[in-house]
Amino acid sequence: MTGYRGSASRRSIVKGALAAGISLPAMSAFLTACGSKTSSSGAVKIPSPDNPVTWPLSKANQAIAAGQTPKAGSTLRIYNYADYLSPRVLKDFEAKYGVKIRLSTFNDADEALTKVASKDLKFDLYFPSYDSLGKLIGADLLRPLTHDYLTNYDNLWPSFHDPWYDRGARYTVPYTIYTTGIGWRTDMVDADIAGMDNPYDVLWDTKYAGNMAILDDWHTAMSMVLLRNGIDDINTTSTKDLDLIRTQILDLRSTMRPKVTISMYTDMPAGQYGLAQFWSGDAINTPYYLPKNVDPSVMRYWFPSDGKGEIDNDLVVCLAQGENPVAAHFFMNEILDNDVAGKNFGFTGYQPPLNKFTPSTLVSQGYLPKTLQTAVVEPQDFKVGFPLLQLPAASDTAWHQVWQEFKAGG
Amino acid sequence: MAEADDRRRPPGSRLIWPLLALPGTVWLALLFVAPLYVVVAILFGGTDPILREPVPVWNPLDWDFTQFTYVWDHIVGSRPFFRPALVRTVVYVTIATLGCLLIAYPVAYFTARFAGRWKGVLLAALIAPFWISYMMRMLAWVNLLQTDGLVNRALSAGGLFDVHVDWLQGHAATVVLGLMYGYVPYMILPLYAGLDRAPVRMLEAARDLGASRWETFRRVTWPLSRSAVVVSLLVTALPMLGDYFTNDLLSGSPSTSMIGNLINNSVLTPGQTGQAGAFVLIILVVSVIPMVLYVRSTRSGADLMS
Repeated sequence: MTGYRGSASRRSIVKGALAAGISLPAMSAFLTACGSKTSSSGAVKIPSPDNPVTWPLSKANQAIAAGQTPKAGSTLRIYNYADYLSPRVLKDFEAKYGVKIRLSTFNDADEALTKVASKDLKFDLYFPSYDSLGKLIGADLLRPLTHDYLTNYDNLWPSFHDPWYDRGARYTVPYTIYTTGIGWRTDMVDADIAGMDNPYDVLWDTKYAGNMAILDDWHTAMSMVLLRNGIDDINTTSTKDLDLIRTQILDLRSTMRPKVTISMYTDMPAGQYGLAQFWSGDAINTPYYLPKNVDPSVMRYWFPSDGKGEIDNDLVVCLAQGENPVAAHFFMNEILDNDVAGKNFGFTGYQPPLNKFTPSTLVSQGYLPKTLQTAVVEPQDFKVGFPLLQLPAASDTAWHQVWQEFKAGG
Repeated sequence: MAEADDRRRPPGSRLIWPLLALPGTVWLALLFVAPLYVVVAILFGGTDPILREPVPVWNPLDWDFTQFTYVWDHIVGSRPFFRPALVRTVVYVTIATLGCLLIAYPVAYFTARFAGRWKGVLLAALIAPFWISYMMRMLAWVNLLQTDGLVNRALSAGGLFDVHVDWLQGHAATVVLGLMYGYVPYMILPLYAGLDRAPVRMLEAARDLGASRWETFRRVTWPLSRSAVVVSLLVTALPMLGDYFTNDLLSGSPSTSMIGNLINNSVLTPGQTGQAGAFVLIILVVSVIPMVLYVRSTRSGADLMS
């Protein structure tokens, strides 16, 4: 569910009509949708570590001039995942710069892209993953950044100064880094998952049927099948690999009765299930949601010790549709500040790729218990890990069809 | 006689009521036809090549039937992976609706016939669930049904038994009970309205003529309330058919997916939005059947009253 609070867009109304069958809002959609329609065309570039991309600067959306300050009393509209920004960070920013922040949230990247694409929601900042960057730039939805405002940029890990997905960081600022692994509660799952020959197998172990969940994210969930089978190319376009994914993900559905969600970080502490596919940031967050009478050390997270697992980072981009790009730049710079990033990390559990945060400091400063140290991401993880990339259109459709079949239930 | 009545009416009076009904009728027709056309234009429309967003096509001559064919093939074709969700929807909705009727009928009957001066209070209590949003009521159940939630604690009788029922882990029973809980107020109100209108004289006449309580109910009360029952079944079952939220919150498992979930998933997935339109059309067609039953029922109800 989105926490979307803006004015209704044409496309969102049309979609609302579909979701509700036939509903009142669709009437207004009908009356207004006869106008011009957003449409984009042309090829989409797909960046990867082996194929770094320097995006062309948008002709329609100009970078802002340097040296401006946010207009007092103006509104900064932010569009982000739920629980993915510290309310304290937002309030501090409002107080510091005299702007009002309006935060809208989403649960699913596809859903978010749909709303962002409508252009008329006036979001200033959006927090995508890099697998949607090509689409955002291809549809000319982004405003190039003015780096004069990003004075905290040097706080980032050097590897993020000139990232492969956006050479020169023309459009993006890194936000958080995370791995995807397996989380469990030792008081609900007795297996030594980290000690197993193939820990991914535990997600197919019928002993835990009805006691587990997988991420409601098509690419992340299905990539797990590939990793389980020793296939490193988690962005495969091979039909044979996709058949394997289909077979095993449908098998998982029928034998394990998984919950498909992204709220593991609250569900597992509440005892709804003891085993789940997990994002490392969510794993770090779990101790804060545990009941007081449960020892936080019951929470565990596994990611391959050789780093050969799924690893990603999320970004912040400045949307061209926004009306407050100056405040947007100031906010981007603010979250690269060591102290602000620390506050944000304390709330979200998602690690910022800043030099200040190392595995030892994260534990010593109380950001996470030692038992969850495996959830910390280190720079070298990005050298061996596998990022989720945007897929070519035909493969994207094929992957989505398998996911659709999975979610339709058997 | 009717001709005499017509002659007594002032000129033009025959047109007054149709004219008064016209704006509302046009408004309702637009609210039905226009959104339906939007849905159809998306279903048979195109897709943006980059963002894969739906692009409605308004001209029927340009319609593309690929999305509809895809859905249809996966309902009736050799790989019918949409079919189980459709069957499940029918089963869940049927059980939940009948369950609602079992709960709602006695409540509505009691309120209409025996509540006396408490009728107003009872009615307010029946409407009370509407004051709290459906989402909030379902979220409350999520807390209650968690493994260490109040329901399991109550079942364990203070720790006497070891109860760890995973209510929220993809159980059909939880979804059906959630639907019943969520929609039962929608059934009580029309039933109450129907039962409250039933003439008491007819019930008394039946008893005076020697009918037992059961016979009075079977031969008088039930036939008189039949049209209210059909209405209440309709107003409960139709929204249930498109419900996805109950399943999302109380199960979250594909094994309990309903057609509403298929629609929601399609709407939120780039490139598949048109398929949601196909599911909407299916619901529409399925809904026509109970509507026909309703029309027949009201007709027979009117015959009975006359």
